[in-house]
Amino acid sequence: MVAQLLGLKLRLLGNMFRRSPWQVFGLVVGLLYGLGAAVAVMAGLVALRSVESSLAQSIVVVGGSLIVLGFLFVPLVFGADDTIDPRKFSLLGIPTSRLALGLAAAAFIGVPALVMTLISAAQVVTWSRSGPATFVAVVSALVLVVTCMLGSRVMTTMATLLLSTRRAREATGLISLLLLSAITPLIAVMVTVDWLARGIPVLHSIADVLAFTPLGAAWAAPGFAAAGNDAAAAGTMAIAAAFLVALWFVWRVLVATMLVTPERESHTHTYSGLGWFSYLPATSAGVVAARSLSYWGRDARYRSALVIVPIVPVVMIGALSVAGVPITLLLLLPVPIMCFFLAWSTAHNDVAFDNTAVWLHVASNIKGTSDRVGRIVPPLALGLIVIAVGTPLSAWGYGSADVVPSLLGVSLCVLFVGLGLSSVISAEFPYPAVHPGDSPFAQPQSSAGAASWVQGLSLLAVLAVTAPTVWLAVLGILYGGGWHVGALLLGIATGIVALGGGIRLGGRVFEARGPELLSFTARY
Amino acid sequence: MENAESILVKFDQLIANLEADAAHDEHKLRDAAVEADVLEPERERILEVTNLSKHFGDTMAVDEINLTVEAGTIFGIVGPNGAGKTTTLSMITGLLRPDSGVVMVHGANVWSDPAAAKRQMGVLPDRLRLFDRLTGSQFLYYAGVLRGLPKETVRERMSQLANTFGLGDSLSRLVADYSAGMVKKISLAAALIHSPRLLVLDEPFESVDPVSVASIVDILHKYVAAGGTVVLSSHSMDLIQRMCDSVAIIVDGKVLSLGAVDDIRGEGSLEEKFIELAGGVTTVEGLEWLHSFSD
Repeated sequence: MVAQLLGLKLRLLGNMFRRSPWQVFGLVVGLLYGLGAAVAVMAGLVALRSVESSLAQSIVVVGGSLIVLGFLFVPLVFGADDTIDPRKFSLLGIPTSRLALGLAAAAFIGVPALVMTLISAAQVVTWSRSGPATFVAVVSALVLVVTCMLGSRVMTTMATLLLSTRRAREATGLISLLLLSAITPLIAVMVTVDWLARGIPVLHSIADVLAFTPLGAAWAAPGFAAAGNDAAAAGTMAIAAAFLVALWFVWRVLVATMLVTPERESHTHTYSGLGWFSYLPATSAGVVAARSLSYWGRDARYRSALVIVPIVPVVMIGALSVAGVPITLLLLLPVPIMCFFLAWSTAHNDVAFDNTAVWLHVASNIKGTSDRVGRIVPPLALGLIVIAVGTPLSAWGYGSADVVPSLLGVSLCVLFVGLGLSSVISAEFPYPAVHPGDSPFAQPQSSAGAASWVQGLSLLAVLAVTAPTVWLAVLGILYGGGWHVGALLLGIATGIVALGGGIRLGGRVFEARGPELLSFTARY
Repeated sequence: MENAESILVKFDQLIANLEADAAHDEHKLRDAAVEADVLEPERERILEVTNLSKHFGDTMAVDEINLTVEAGTIFGIVGPNGAGKTTTLSMITGLLRPDSGVVMVHGANVWSDPAAAKRQMGVLPDRLRLFDRLTGSQFLYYAGVLRGLPKETVRERMSQLANTFGLGDSLSRLVADYSAGMVKKISLAAALIHSPRLLVLDEPFESVDPVSVASIVDILHKYVAAGGTVVLSSHSMDLIQRMCDSVAIIVDGKVLSLGAVDDIRGEGSLEEKFIELAGGVTTVEGLEWLHSFSD
C-alpha cells in the first residue's frame, strides 16, 4: 500500500514536467528558488557552528519556528494543491490506518520535504559540538522533518474539509489579504527597533518562549544538550514528540472523517429583489453596469482588488517616507494612486474575468459601446467618490488649498485615461484571468508571458498619457499660480478625450472580435 | 442623355410593378389552392446553412455542412461525442466564426448582418458559463434587457417563465448555487424571454429531471404550433424520435443523413439507424473475467 502510494506521488510529480514549456519553466524556477533558499539557510546553520551556543540556539529557535509555522499555515491560507486528498481513495475500500500511513508517507516526496531534510541535516552540523548534542540533533532532525510534513498534510486536509464551500474560500482569501496588509505596519515596527543595541536581548526573550512551544521545541533541544542542560533538553524533546504524536492522531481521525464526508453542501443565501438592476435604467449599458456593480460587491476577485486599492498608497507612502521624502508632499499621492488602481487593476482584463459567460453579450449582439460603458461604471463611480472625499483631505494635510486644482486635474486624468485605455485593452488584448469562483490568489492555467507584457505596456501607456498633466502639476507645486489651473484644464481635457476615444474604439473592437473573445475565454 | 436615363428609370419601375403584381397574383392563387387542399402550405425556410466548415488545427470539426430548417418545425441534430454538433450550433448562433459557408436566419446573414439575424434567435449553448453571481431573477432581467425588451415586459415575462419552469423560490438565489438541471432551465427561460422566431438549443435536456423534460417538451410543442422553430441537439434518440419533425445525423463533421424522422428511421428506431450510421457497436471481447466476481 505504502509503496503504491509513494509510486503514485512520484508519478504525479514527474507528470508535472509534462505540461506546457511555460509551466515547466515556472516549476523549475520554483524548484531553484526553493533549493536556493534551502542552501542559504544551510550555509547559515553551518556558520552558526562557531557561534556561542546560547546565541546560536536563540537564532535557530526563532528561525526554525518560522519555518514550522510556514509549513503549517501556508497550505491553510493559500490552499495547497491537494493531489492526494484522502477522499479520492474513499471508493477503494482501503483500511483507514493503512491509508493514513501511506498518504503520510507519500507527503515525503516533493520539493518541500527535500528542502526540510536539507535544513534539518544542516542543523545537525550546527550542534555537532559534543557527542550528546550531536545525538539529540539527529533525533531532532528526524522529528522536525516528520512534524513539518505531517503538519502540512493535516492543515491541507483541514483546509479542504473546512473551506469546501465557495463562501468560505472567498472569505479566507479576503482574510489572508487583510493579514498580509497587517504585516506591513508590523515590519515597519520591526525596522524601528534598534537591533544593534537591543536586538540580541529581544531575540533571546522571543526564543525563550518559543523553545517550549511545539513550534520551537525540537529546534531548541540540541542547544540545551550542547549547553549541558539535560533536563531542558529532555523536556523540549518531550514537547516535540508529544506534538508529533498528537499530529498523528489528528491525521488518523481526519482521514477517517474525510472518507465518510462527501463534499460539503453549501449553505445558500437568498437575495430579494433585483438589487442594482432596479436602480439603473433598463438599457444595455444600464444592465451591464448593474451586473458589474453586483460583481464588484459579490465576486472575491473584484473585492480583493478593492481591498488592495487603499493598501497600495499606504505601503508606498511608508516606503518613500523611510527614504526621506517629506510627508507633506507624500500626502498628495494617495488620491491619484487609488484612482489609478481603480481604473486599471481589474478593468483592463474585464472580459477575461467574465470567462465564457460573455457569450450572452455576443449572442444578444449588444452594442460595443454599451458593453464598454457598463463595465467601467463601478470603478468610475468609486474613483469619483475617492476624488471627492480624498482631495480636500490631501490638500488639508499638505497645508494649502492652492494644490486643489492640480490634484483634481491629475486624479481625474489618471482615472479617465486609465478607464479609456482599459476599455480598449480588455477587448483587444485579454489574457487568462482567475476563473469565476476560484480563489483570487489561484494562478490561471497559462503562460505568464501575455499577462506581463499586456500589464506592463498598458501601465506605461497610462503613465505616458498622463505625464503632461503631472508635469504641469509639479510646476504648480514648485512655482504656484496659473500652473495649477493649467494642470486642471489639461487633465480634464486629456481625460475626456481618452475616455471617449477609448470607449468608442473599444466598442468597435468588442463588436468586431466578439466571437474571438469568446473562443479565447473558452480556451482557458 | 438625360431623357434616355429617365426612360430607363421609368422602364425599371414598370417592370418592378409588373413583377409585384405577378407575385401578388401567384400568392393569391397559392392561397386559394391551399384553401382548396390542392397544395401544402409553403413554409418559410427560417434557417439555411450552406457549405459551413470549421477546422481546429488539423482536424475538420465541421466539413461542408448543408442544412435547411422550415419554420414551425422541430429539427434535431444527433451525432456521437465529438461529431461537431456544438461547433455547428455555435456557428449558427454567431458564437463561433466559421472558416467558410453561409448561415441565413429569416433572410439575414448571421455573419454579415448579425444585428438582424441574432434578434430572431434564442440561444442555449452547451458548457458555457452563465453570469452566475447574479440571482436567477437578475439573470433573466439581464438577458431580457440585453435583448432590448422594455422593463415592464421583462418583469411580466420573468414571473411567467418562473412559474412555467418551476423556478419559483430559486429566483432569489445565486445561479452559482443552482444544480445542473436548474441551470439548464434558467438558461432556457433566458433564451425564450424575447420570444424569438428560432430557438437553437444545445443539449437542452442534459441532467434535467423527467418531469421538467416533459414540461419543456410541452412548451416547445406549443411554441412550434404558434409558428416558432426549434433546432436542438441531444443524445436521447428516443426523445428526438418522439418530438422532432426532421433530423440530421452528423458524424465526423459531415451530415450522413438528413430528412423527416420517419423517412430516416424506416422500419427500425432512430437509435438503431443512428448506431448503424455511426459505425455500429464495437464488439466486446476479452472481458470474460467480468463474468465472475472478485471478493
